[in-house]
Amino acid sequence: MIAQPNMALTHRQKHGAYRRKLMQDIKRDKWLYLLMLPGLVYFVLFKYLPMYGIVISFENYVPFTGVAGSEWVGLKWFKYFFSSPSWSRYLTNTLILSLMNIVFYFPAPIILALLLNEMRSLRYKKVLQTLLYVPHFISIVIVVSITFVIFGSSGIVYKLTEQLLGHPIKYLSDPGVFRWMIIGQTIWKETGWGTIIFLAALTNVDVQLYEAAMMDGANRFQRLWHITLPAIRSTIVLMLVLRMGSVLDTGYDHLILMANPLNRTVSQTLDVFVYDQGLGKSGGNYSYAAAVGLMKSVVSVIMVVGSNKIAHALGEQGLY
Amino acid sequence: MKKLLTLILAVALALSMVTIASAEEPFVLTVMLPDFYSTEDFQTEGNPVLDAIETATGVKLEINFVANSTYGEAVATTLTDSNMPMVMAVTDARATNIINSARAGAFWDLTDYIADAENYPYLAQGDPAVYNNISVDGRIYGIFRSRAYPRAGIYYRSDIAKEVGIEKEPETIEELTALAEALAGYSDDTYALNMCSYTDGTINVITCAFGAPNVWGVNADGDIYPAHEDPAYLEGLNWLRHLYEIGGIDPDFVTIDSTNWDNIERTGKAFMRFDCLDNGYRQQEWFETNEGVTDQIFEIIGGLKKEDGSITLWPQNPGFAGEIMVTKAVSEADLPKVVKFLDWCNGPEGQMLLNWGVEGVTYWLDADGYRLAAPEDGTDVTAQVHLIQHSLNQLGMNVPGDLTITEKRTPLRAEYNEINAEFAQYAQVNPCFPLISETNVAFGATLTQIISDAAVQYIAHQIDEDGLRAAWQQWTDEGGALMTQEYNEAYHAAQAE
Repeated sequence: MIAQPNMALTHRQKHGAYRRKLMQDIKRDKWLYLLMLPGLVYFVLFKYLPMYGIVISFENYVPFTGVAGSEWVGLKWFKYFFSSPSWSRYLTNTLILSLMNIVFYFPAPIILALLLNEMRSLRYKKVLQTLLYVPHFISIVIVVSITFVIFGSSGIVYKLTEQLLGHPIKYLSDPGVFRWMIIGQTIWKETGWGTIIFLAALTNVDVQLYEAAMMDGANRFQRLWHITLPAIRSTIVLMLVLRMGSVLDTGYDHLILMANPLNRTVSQTLDVFVYDQGLGKSGGNYSYAAAVGLMKSVVSVIMVVGSNKIAHALGEQGLY
Repeated sequence: MKKLLTLILAVALALSMVTIASAEEPFVLTVMLPDFYSTEDFQTEGNPVLDAIETATGVKLEINFVANSTYGEAVATTLTDSNMPMVMAVTDARATNIINSARAGAFWDLTDYIADAENYPYLAQGDPAVYNNISVDGRIYGIFRSRAYPRAGIYYRSDIAKEVGIEKEPETIEELTALAEALAGYSDDTYALNMCSYTDGTINVITCAFGAPNVWGVNADGDIYPAHEDPAYLEGLNWLRHLYEIGGIDPDFVTIDSTNWDNIERTGKAFMRFDCLDNGYRQQEWFETNEGVTDQIFEIIGGLKKEDGSITLWPQNPGFAGEIMVTKAVSEADLPKVVKFLDWCNGPEGQMLLNWGVEGVTYWLDADGYRLAAPEDGTDVTAQVHLIQHSLNQLGMNVPGDLTITEKRTPLRAEYNEINAEFAQYAQVNPCFPLISETNVAFGATLTQIISDAAVQYIAHQIDEDGLRAAWQQWTDEGGALMTQEYNEAYHAAQAE
């Protein structure tokens, strides 16, 4: 009983000391702190303040009455989502698409970057790189339109497979093909652009290592395996940790453009659901959409923190 | 510095005096409308139609056109905006956000104005049944955009039908099947029935022809039940499923956007369509203008006979396509002025200006006083009409009926009018249109999609009858049962009154 006030005192003293030290630090590094200020203001203003909008996921939000005037319903929308029979389908569709994306798309830019790195002619490499970036700048709407023309029932690929196999493959409406089409389009569009970060990491590799390895008789593949890949390993892990954070993000524009009644069983992901409920066909359920979006964000945070921990456990630097 | 300030103040004072002096400033009305020519400009300055409207009513229109394909989203986001337009067209009067916003007070209640025949004569002429169809909790928050009642039906290329050996217009389902099968066999590259990603209309026509109700029906016990619970609904789907199997429908029809629907007939890729009947004569006229066709190559069917000789029922359109709503951006003092303007829009002068524009600029008259879409000397005026008239007709409500100068009627157009009059008695109303179910308000679109997706999957042989029934069960579990119950309560309450 006697010890407690003493402890509180020391705590307060400690607190005071810390604050004094902080003030000293700020005074010393005032220019650095000033440099940080615009970034801080940006995050508070554009990232943290808008978060108050999350409130609507606990309300029956009607735009006209506003956030303050709408009825408070607590966890109604969360309960509603999990009591609806189809929520597991949305989640499964999201996870399958995301995992396919990680397995098939994620390695693509790494492989391409390694291939580019092995090129001898610098000029040819530069031209090729530029050409590889082009698809990234083509709007997904255009990509989907091109797909419709090539893979539709009067398109060249459709006719070709029909002649080769004897029966057509319905690229645009068969639910079994849908995910492969999405992954294929993503690889076509984003692989080239994705190489940038890996190519940047590759420039840090010490050239002397290659020379030494060559002296020791290492062939091309051995050099790639023992020098290049370890050198960019931390970048790969970093990208993977970031990717894990968006494992529930499938985007909606691409999927909505490719969706139709015949493939809806596989094309409806959480993102599409949020869009549909908020603004799309069933539009106007702002609160419901916000609630599902909020759940998604919570899972994303858990995934980033979790995969970062795993990265640390495996001896990698990870994200932070 | 002081001098400068004085100067500024003096100028400001002078300007404000000018404003006071010209008290006859036009009343500026901001309007949001869907745009069907989003690729083309709209002339805002010195537009003869807008000028004519301003001269006639003293209202200066400031129109914000939003592409029709994203109009629903635009409405959804506009409702969250403090800067709402004063008047807006709402294309889906039963949308969740419209009903919720109306209840929250985002729109002016126009019920009393519509009842005031003395001051607003044209609005008062509107069909009370249709006003009832757009009402929310018994109050009317908008002026409906009138459409003729029974418009859905069947039309087909009669010339192709003759080529495949069918001379007679089909009168029964069997004859329709024979026609469809014959058209399917016309060529490998063509299809019998023109279907696109918008499938609800097509399915609705054929299931109704077999005897299913129009989305919702009333059974023998006087209770509301959904169309898919009627055995005739499955018969209708089977009809389409069979046609799909024999190659009568494009296997990729779900990927065809509804904006391309017309083009499929125009390029001769398909020969029959279940849709709004007036499109039949529009297609005929398109072929006459663009392909130099002189014979009648389209035929429209108003109704089919059942085995017992009775006429099948066609789905009836609810009598309107969206509504024009007045938002709270209009002050209470200005409201009568705005309603008066909407009333004027429904009169002959307003209808003519909104739908067809100004004579000699966007429409022309022939010697008999019929309206022409282009001058008789054959000048191409399409660009000019699009620039000036644009999608202004989207503000047109025509509540008292069409009061405009008509075009000369082609034989098919005359036939359409006859069919419309003759078959009006067989039109099938959706009894749930004026009723409100809370489940439908919140999740109606999601639930409807389950039914229509399953129907399409069944037609395309992706699922069998068990799969179809499983989807119907899913509909029931996810809220369909509740919706049916709510509709029944509302229906019985309305019947009791």
